[in-house]
Amino acid sequence: MKLSDKMAYESYADMMFGTAIKPVTTKHGLVIGGGFVIPEIVPHPRPGSEKTLKTLMREFERANFDALERCVLVGHPAIVIENEHISQMTNNPDWGMEITIQTAKQIEEFKIKYGLKAAYRATIADIRRPDRVNLRDSEATAKVLESFEKCAEAADIISIESLGGKEIFDYSIIRNDITGILFSEAILGGRDMEWLWTRIVDIAERKKCIAGGDTDCARSNTAMFMAGGFISKDIPHTLAALTRAIGAARTLVAHECGATGPGKDCGYENPILKAITGMPMSMEGKSSACAHPDLCGNVIAAVCDLWSNEAVAYHNMFGGTTPAVFAEILGYDAAAMNSAVALGFQKEFQACLVNSDRYRGPHGFILSPDNAWHIGKAIVENSRSMYARSKAAAFKCAELLLGDPNLRITGYEKESLLGYLKVLESLPDEENDFIDLCMRKYKNVNGFKPDSYGLQ
Amino acid sequence: MKYSTDTSGIFTRFDMEIEVTRRSIRRISSDFALQAIADCVADGDEEKTEEAVKEALEQKDPLEIIHEGLIPGMNEVSRLWDEGVYFLPQVILSSDAMMAGIKLCEQKLGKPLKKKGKIITHTAEGDIHDIGQSIVNALLNADGFEVINLGTDVPIDVVVEACLAHKPIMLTGTALMTTTMSAFPKIAAKLKSMNFNIPFVCGGGAVNEEFVTGFDLGIWGKEASQAPAMAGDILEGAHWQELRSKWNG
Repeated sequence: MKLSDKMAYESYADMMFGTAIKPVTTKHGLVIGGGFVIPEIVPHPRPGSEKTLKTLMREFERANFDALERCVLVGHPAIVIENEHISQMTNNPDWGMEITIQTAKQIEEFKIKYGLKAAYRATIADIRRPDRVNLRDSEATAKVLESFEKCAEAADIISIESLGGKEIFDYSIIRNDITGILFSEAILGGRDMEWLWTRIVDIAERKKCIAGGDTDCARSNTAMFMAGGFISKDIPHTLAALTRAIGAARTLVAHECGATGPGKDCGYENPILKAITGMPMSMEGKSSACAHPDLCGNVIAAVCDLWSNEAVAYHNMFGGTTPAVFAEILGYDAAAMNSAVALGFQKEFQACLVNSDRYRGPHGFILSPDNAWHIGKAIVENSRSMYARSKAAAFKCAELLLGDPNLRITGYEKESLLGYLKVLESLPDEENDFIDLCMRKYKNVNGFKPDSYGLQ
Repeated sequence: MKYSTDTSGIFTRFDMEIEVTRRSIRRISSDFALQAIADCVADGDEEKTEEAVKEALEQKDPLEIIHEGLIPGMNEVSRLWDEGVYFLPQVILSSDAMMAGIKLCEQKLGKPLKKKGKIITHTAEGDIHDIGQSIVNALLNADGFEVINLGTDVPIDVVVEACLAHKPIMLTGTALMTTTMSAFPKIAAKLKSMNFNIPFVCGGGAVNEEFVTGFDLGIWGKEASQAPAMAGDILEGAHWQELRSKWNG
């Protein structure tokens, strides 16, 4: 796998919502990144609906129909529906396939009846638990790959939130251990993604389906959620920001293996990926408050191509069911951005989005288009190894956080950041030396299986 | 792009306004060796804690080291966390350091230290998001409870069998997803049918109060940090209804 060594965007000033240098077209004819922001709705089934295939199909049939119907009702011209597999759907690959076929039919019916442009993203559950199975050779691995094969038949886009490295990440994040985080992301996560995404892209090419992308959700979002809001005390926001920058170098591997975008919505690192790859990206912010809070509700929309809600459990609200309500909200957000483009005010609109959250906290700051681009540049300029580019991303992130006096961080946050920098500076220059160091340090962590990553 | 330097009308940085001045641990012993052990625990330095404990064991009784060095050091960490001075990783590292020190003392004693009570923790079947459970485990360990960690993706019957075998004072369940938390009422129903009415504290991303208080034995845990205090209430005689009434509603 060749690591990226140049930026798709020559300047962050060229990055804009709705437009990507390399747009993609789905099998249903929807162009993503072609000049318009498109909503991406993600409904989640209610507890109990997973009992049988029949009950689950009914749940998704209602949820997906409600979203499609609301688009027609209020005049949203296009939508992407994403169903993130619950474990039952990947453990029984036929379940995932049946729901995919059902949704593809619904989309076709809405296209014929109303001319609504829609597409379906099937996100396979990564049921390979790093602490229990060999990631490359287990029954769970076989089911994941079988699910991709079966869903790719009818889905427009396939994706996954891969888990490689999570066992070391979880151990490290609660111990304030930046070395372990770097190891889990750059070495373990990177290797697992290369193995997995080579196979996903092969399936997508054979099935004429789009290999969308991955996300660092299992690691960077864990860190971001633990950092929480302004009164949370689990981990420093500066550690979450460093994790995000490091995680971007990991998620990028999907695209280096041939994924074309749109990247997964919960990949908050996607502005960095868009800067490097020029591919369309899905993002989520204020619209995903139904799933979790964050401190970058508007800024994250600044360069989005799909605008998503992460996941909303299916139930009734005063205004209808949640998929219907959120499809409407997302669609209106997209309409506002598309109006800005139509009026030629997109730069001004983007500036409003960015200024809302640029200085709200470290995450919003590093994901502002200029800073995201600079982190991307650090990644491509250090393409000699996954380790080198991940570490470079962390250094650039820290440099940016410390370099703008308008970004205020607490004394403890700053002290923590300086501590992580000191540790990063003490690490070896070469990847093999770093791996040797980490294999000694983490060999006894519960569930760590070097074989899963081709390590001895 | 233009960046506004006056953000007062855009957001309020409450974290800057409430930042707690950093404070160090209080002096917990006039004995130099015990204070040194407490300091090492508070620093979260496992290696140095072990060195300090080994050195102290040459002169002192293991129980004295535990009760007057290791545990008071950890108590100081808990206080600083409660007061918003320490972050979670400092608590976890200090817990690791204290546990390493206790292990050395137990070796010298020739028997394990009597714990406050047994608690079983697990993450629901179908769910692998166990970071919340890891935090609960560390905090309960730090508070002197014996944690029986069943891990992630634990089938209902395994949880029930473990409860019958270990007779814990409390069971905890963690779930991130709505479709996995449905295991919790099933576990509670099985325990109740066997007349094993232990408090079952459930928490995690998708788990909410309405759901957990909808079945007998269930108590909603909003934060992992509540677990030791809930277990403390049980030691003082609270049954599941009292626990629910205190922590939920």
